[in-house]
Amino acid sequence: MPLVNNKVGNDCTVGTDKTLADGKDLVESVIKVVACYRHLAACVGGCTDSLQLRDELRQTREKALNLAEAIRLHLTSHLRDKSLPEDQRKEMELLWVAFSSSLELLHVDMCKVFSMGDNFSLANTASLVQTGLQGGGSEVAARALSLADLNQEPPTLPAGLESQERSTMEQEISQIDHMIDDMEKKVNVLRWMVEPRGPQYADPLSSTESASLALLSVDEEQPGHEPRCQRSLIFVFLLLFAVVLVAATLSVCLVLFS
Amino acid sequence: MTIRNVLRDHGQRYRPRMACLKKVEKVVLEMQDPTTGVKLQPQRLVITTIPHAITGEDIVQICLFYSEARSFGSMLVALGYIYPIQDHKRLVVKPDASLYRFQTPYFWPTQQWPVEDTDYAIYLAKRNIRKKGILELHEQEQYNHLHKWMNHKWDFIVMQAKEQYRAAKERKKPDRVVFDCQERAYWVVHRPPVRTHTCMFPSLQKTFTFPSVWSMVTCFSLHCRLVKYCATYKGHDPFLSKCLPSNPWLTDDVTYWALNMPNVEIPTKMRVERWTFSFGELLSDPRGRDDFRLFLKKEFSGENLAFWEGCEDLKWGTAATMKEKAEQIYKTFLARGAPRWINIDGKTMEITVKGLKHPHRYVLDAAQTHIYMLMKKDSYGRYLKSPVFKETTKKAVCPEEHKFSDSQLEQNARNRRPSLSPIIIRQQEQEQKAKMAASAPVDITQVMSKLSQQGKEAPPRRTSVKND
Repeated sequence: MPLVNNKVGNDCTVGTDKTLADGKDLVESVIKVVACYRHLAACVGGCTDSLQLRDELRQTREKALNLAEAIRLHLTSHLRDKSLPEDQRKEMELLWVAFSSSLELLHVDMCKVFSMGDNFSLANTASLVQTGLQGGGSEVAARALSLADLNQEPPTLPAGLESQERSTMEQEISQIDHMIDDMEKKVNVLRWMVEPRGPQYADPLSSTESASLALLSVDEEQPGHEPRCQRSLIFVFLLLFAVVLVAATLSVCLVLFS
Repeated sequence: MTIRNVLRDHGQRYRPRMACLKKVEKVVLEMQDPTTGVKLQPQRLVITTIPHAITGEDIVQICLFYSEARSFGSMLVALGYIYPIQDHKRLVVKPDASLYRFQTPYFWPTQQWPVEDTDYAIYLAKRNIRKKGILELHEQEQYNHLHKWMNHKWDFIVMQAKEQYRAAKERKKPDRVVFDCQERAYWVVHRPPVRTHTCMFPSLQKTFTFPSVWSMVTCFSLHCRLVKYCATYKGHDPFLSKCLPSNPWLTDDVTYWALNMPNVEIPTKMRVERWTFSFGELLSDPRGRDDFRLFLKKEFSGENLAFWEGCEDLKWGTAATMKEKAEQIYKTFLARGAPRWINIDGKTMEITVKGLKHPHRYVLDAAQTHIYMLMKKDSYGRYLKSPVFKETTKKAVCPEEHKFSDSQLEQNARNRRPSLSPIIIRQQEQEQKAKMAASAPVDITQVMSKLSQQGKEAPPRRTSVKND
């Protein structure tokens, strides 16, 4: 019955391939959410700190925790399954390492936001640090929550929100603590046996984006040349404008006199 | 509820004290006040404007409330609360129109959450994504080192770097630039290049006790002595004044140590000058002691120094050899008819001889002090006027100051080597001692016979009486 066997084999591999793909998707989304959370956390305490930012942080946090719970169940159940073939197990372990590292990053960021929330109360906006940021983190939060656009109206939140949020945060932080502990107890992944698949250097994502960013951060490459660069560029624009003007007048003259 | 820090600090890097940082944070928050705080101005880039930049002059102006305004401002920058926009690698406040900006509280230095290597790896990966090959040499080395050490996480690090990069792209351009500057400044503070020293200094725990009236007098005399000491030694302190040829801790060049080895042939001028400060200085420097020994040999009163050295040997030697050493010293220096008899007064001799019946480490202390004072009052003064000393001073070398360029300094840092093992140094010292013991004249009669054989006219000047 090789046919039957093959059929069974195919189903099995299809099943586990789907499992792996699911796991990968989940881990990638949690990495994305953690990255966005970090960007939002960097705005706390600065001049763009507001109730809206705190609300966005809360929503991002909730999404991260939901994803984390799902991944935890998924990976724990599969890694505790003794019948998992070796190559699948290796893939799962890679996902496990990525997931636990994301959880650690999220934990640190949450703790930082919690303590900064203590020090920088939104009631006293005069002492918020003037960091030079102008926009809030709405676009980043939208990316984290995978929404096309966050609703722009400022949330009408009750006055006692901050203290309520503090207690919620405490609970969430302890939840993550327990999750990390739990994971370590239930599944024993030997980190030194895990080998990464990817390259040492990440490839540049796209040349056009990097070019535009390089243009913006002129001060990084050339310290002190910045005003000179500015002035020379303005001069070039003026020259171009003058040339265009001369060409236009010449063409008008030609048309008039021909 | 205490928030447990799950992550362990594998880097074991030094973390600054919380008390100092809390005070600095208070100052930084006061600077944010729109009326009494520091003046803000926009920074104009090519096609955009970013607000909330401050000039170095304004920082110094507001720090004038505190003494040492400029160094306080530099401390703010070095700790990472304010970062320079141009010339971001030099963490100092320049009191001109160069621009600075406040760091966001997320990147403020705190003790609770140590600076993680994972974050550093993600940051370097992000910079590499933005522009390949932009990493500097020390960053490259760090990146490779982290890749080796955190290899299992590397896929995660690359993925997280890409996601953070994409999330940053969602923001408006000026905000993106600001965030990049903030992150870059954070890592310049916490992962500086190898040669620079970080400002994460320890704050000293100062306890001040109010002095009582009767101790004011002793305080005053101590103060005078301290002032005199400082005035004398100020030029010789490598931290307070320039160290010739160059301070090895700053330039990684070991010429200074090589020139000041214990048994170098030609000492440096500074070293010879130190011998003139006090007799103790002369004796404690091995090269000085050699010179003094030479002088005493010419004066034929070398037994004083030899006795003093023997006593030191007894004091600091091993307990097992003490008894034989004491006996040897007695036989050589103290007994009636000893070959190198020393001249000490009757009372001291009586005490010493009585003590030697039951020898211990400090049995020869009285005699040693007597001989020390004798040498200090008598021989030391003559030594400083002697031709031996004059010749040493003439031959003493004054090295040229080194002027290293930045690349040479980096080269020096790379060529750092550990010093000789203490075991080898000890062996060398012992060989030296053995050589000296073999060549020194033990018996004055030998010397006398040598002299009479050579037919020297002038009899040697002797202050002690020899029982023959």
